[in-house]
Amino acid sequence: MTLNRRRFIRHLVATTLGAAWPVLGASPVRFGVTAVMLDDRVGFLNDWAAWLGARLGRPVVFVQRARYREILDLLLGGQLDLAWICGYPYVQHQDALELIAVPSFQGQPLYRAYVIAAAEGGVQSFEELAGRLFAWADPDSNSGYLYPRSHLAGLGRDPDHFFRRTFFTWGHPRSVVAVAEGLADGAAVDGYVWETLARRDPALTGQTQIILRSPLFGFPPIVAARDLPAADRTRLREILIGQAGDAAGRALLAELNLDGFVTAEPALFTDIAAMARQLGRSG
Amino acid sequence: MNISRFWASYRVRLPLSLSVSAILTAFCLALALGGQTLVNLREDQGRNASMLAHAWAEMLIQALRNEDVWLAYALLRGPEGAEAGEAVWILVDAAGRVFASNRPRRYRLDQPLNEALPWLPATVEPDRIEPLARANGVDQAEAQRLLRLPLFSDGTPVGELIALLSDTPYLPRFREILVGGVLVTVGVLALLLPLGWLWGRRLVAPLTQLSGCMSRVGKEDPRRLHCTLPGDDSEIGQLGRQFAAMVAALAEQEALKDQMLQSERLAAVGRVAAGVAHEVNNPLGGMLMAIDAYRCAQPLDARTARLLDLLERALRQIQDSVSALLVEARADPRPLTGRDLDDVRTLAQPRLAKSGVRLIWHNAFDVATTLPATPVRQLLLNLLLNAIEAARDGGAVRVRLLSEGDRLRLWVRNRGRPIPPDQLAHLFEPYPAVRPHARGLGLWICYQIVSQLGGVIEVASEGELTTFQVSLPLDRPVA
Repeated sequence: MTLNRRRFIRHLVATTLGAAWPVLGASPVRFGVTAVMLDDRVGFLNDWAAWLGARLGRPVVFVQRARYREILDLLLGGQLDLAWICGYPYVQHQDALELIAVPSFQGQPLYRAYVIAAAEGGVQSFEELAGRLFAWADPDSNSGYLYPRSHLAGLGRDPDHFFRRTFFTWGHPRSVVAVAEGLADGAAVDGYVWETLARRDPALTGQTQIILRSPLFGFPPIVAARDLPAADRTRLREILIGQAGDAAGRALLAELNLDGFVTAEPALFTDIAAMARQLGRSG
Repeated sequence: MNISRFWASYRVRLPLSLSVSAILTAFCLALALGGQTLVNLREDQGRNASMLAHAWAEMLIQALRNEDVWLAYALLRGPEGAEAGEAVWILVDAAGRVFASNRPRRYRLDQPLNEALPWLPATVEPDRIEPLARANGVDQAEAQRLLRLPLFSDGTPVGELIALLSDTPYLPRFREILVGGVLVTVGVLALLLPLGWLWGRRLVAPLTQLSGCMSRVGKEDPRRLHCTLPGDDSEIGQLGRQFAAMVAALAEQEALKDQMLQSERLAAVGRVAAGVAHEVNNPLGGMLMAIDAYRCAQPLDARTARLLDLLERALRQIQDSVSALLVEARADPRPLTGRDLDDVRTLAQPRLAKSGVRLIWHNAFDVATTLPATPVRQLLLNLLLNAIEAARDGGAVRVRLLSEGDRLRLWVRNRGRPIPPDQLAHLFEPYPAVRPHARGLGLWICYQIVSQLGGVIEVASEGELTTFQVSLPLDRPVA
């Protein structure tokens, strides 16, 4: 099923853009991706890179690292041209980064954080997780770290002592696995990732239940380093915004479980910035 | 067939013992295979666990140092996922608390080891597969063997990796081996049972023949005991041959006994006849002489003469009858020739013509002999006339005469009414009760002649074919 769809997308990419393949030898655009999306799908990333490269006239290379921090360091250090990062590191480094586009999920550039527990573990609310094992996604994740801590703080609980023990899984899908397999009693995950996983692997998400839905936050954005020439930034923004208008682009978006990419203002992330300030970690 | 005989029969015991041995063999094989497989699997399991533990050690130490629970869990969990995998792995930190396990629901993060595994032996040789005693509350389904690998970083203990190994994962394989054994046995039995049944039947068939035949011995005349007996080279075949030889000996004995009885009887009859003849002949001669003397002494009136004639005729008839019983074979000293025998053929011609019976004559007798001509001629004539009489109209009588060694041999054979066995036994007696219409002395005379000439006469009746066979010594023993 997935393979057939993949073949279909390749076919679309090849036929509609056959004449506009990236010029060989031109310096590639380096695009960092983090676990804000399902970054384990190399085949899909290759297809997307081909599509973007054909539009851009330059090859596009996706760069992956185990942790958000590493991608952010590469971006800030000028070794990446653009990256898909979480809203939390964005608000921390807003001055050094420029918003290129924000994905549109279920009709708006917004998403939620979910707190999940085992489907049959008896835990029905976030408060019941007190004194239990809890899995964070990444210390630089809004949904998988900042929001649940902020929520606890809002309840007047100390996020460092509310749980018996916590650990990082370094990825939202792993957090879902940790809860499903009983390694953790609860976890905070990206709602978009959970929903997308629920479509891809319903047996896995079926072992978990959502016990807390956060308010809507700005969706993890695609940002560029300030060093990237303005022309490139504009071009990349145009291509991403226009992806929903292209058949092959739409097929790729469907794989991502997204409607498309839209322009956004930094103000979209003020809630996250507020939480970051509240927890005293704002940069 | 009653139950005990049913089970005693080789027809049942043979396939049954085949089946039992097949089942036993299959069972022992399955057991041996299963046991060996278990030993091999345990060794493999221990080796694999040890190898895996050493391969993971460095990464696990890193995970412990970095407090990277997920890294440790991902390693121990392996590609099979949680709750899967044959061994239970538990990573313990330096404080003796569970750090990760591939059974995350059971061995929780931060759980003290002495709480998670209260039965864990205090002193265990590290990096060795140790069997766990059944005592101490060890859950045997969970752990039958134990591997403890202490983890060191820079000479300092940072934790320990524990593997709990059990046979539980192999039980399905055992079941497969057993089921396979059972299926093979059933298959073999499906083949062996009918084969064994057939084999048993084949083996038992000659025994049944033999026992059937044996049960007739003593109830039936061994000479008429016709049985199909096994004759192959097997032990049963030998038994069959020996039994047949025994029956033949019995038959021979029986025949000899009959023959002796018959000759004794005939000899007794002969003695009685001769005695009676002598006793009758003496007064008879006196009476005849008295009649003669009476006739010569005086003239007779007609009435007396007629009375004397009547008396004389009656006395002569008695004399004839008595002398017929007294066969005198040695009266005539003229020796027998082939021509004498051919004369018999001529003598029988009128009777042959009247009866319409064909005669096949084969006379090859041409040697000199001291046998007297007249009794032998009478013997042959009697036999030939008897045969012509017994042969049916249009039938044939075959006569063969020849010398064989120092004996004259003589066959007279006709096709006609078969002679019943009970008649054969009394055939040579005078006035046999079973032949009231015959004159009754022909065969008696034949027997007397043959006996007096030192020969043997035998009769055989096979169906419609009746054969008289006479064997006479060419040189008469001097009496």
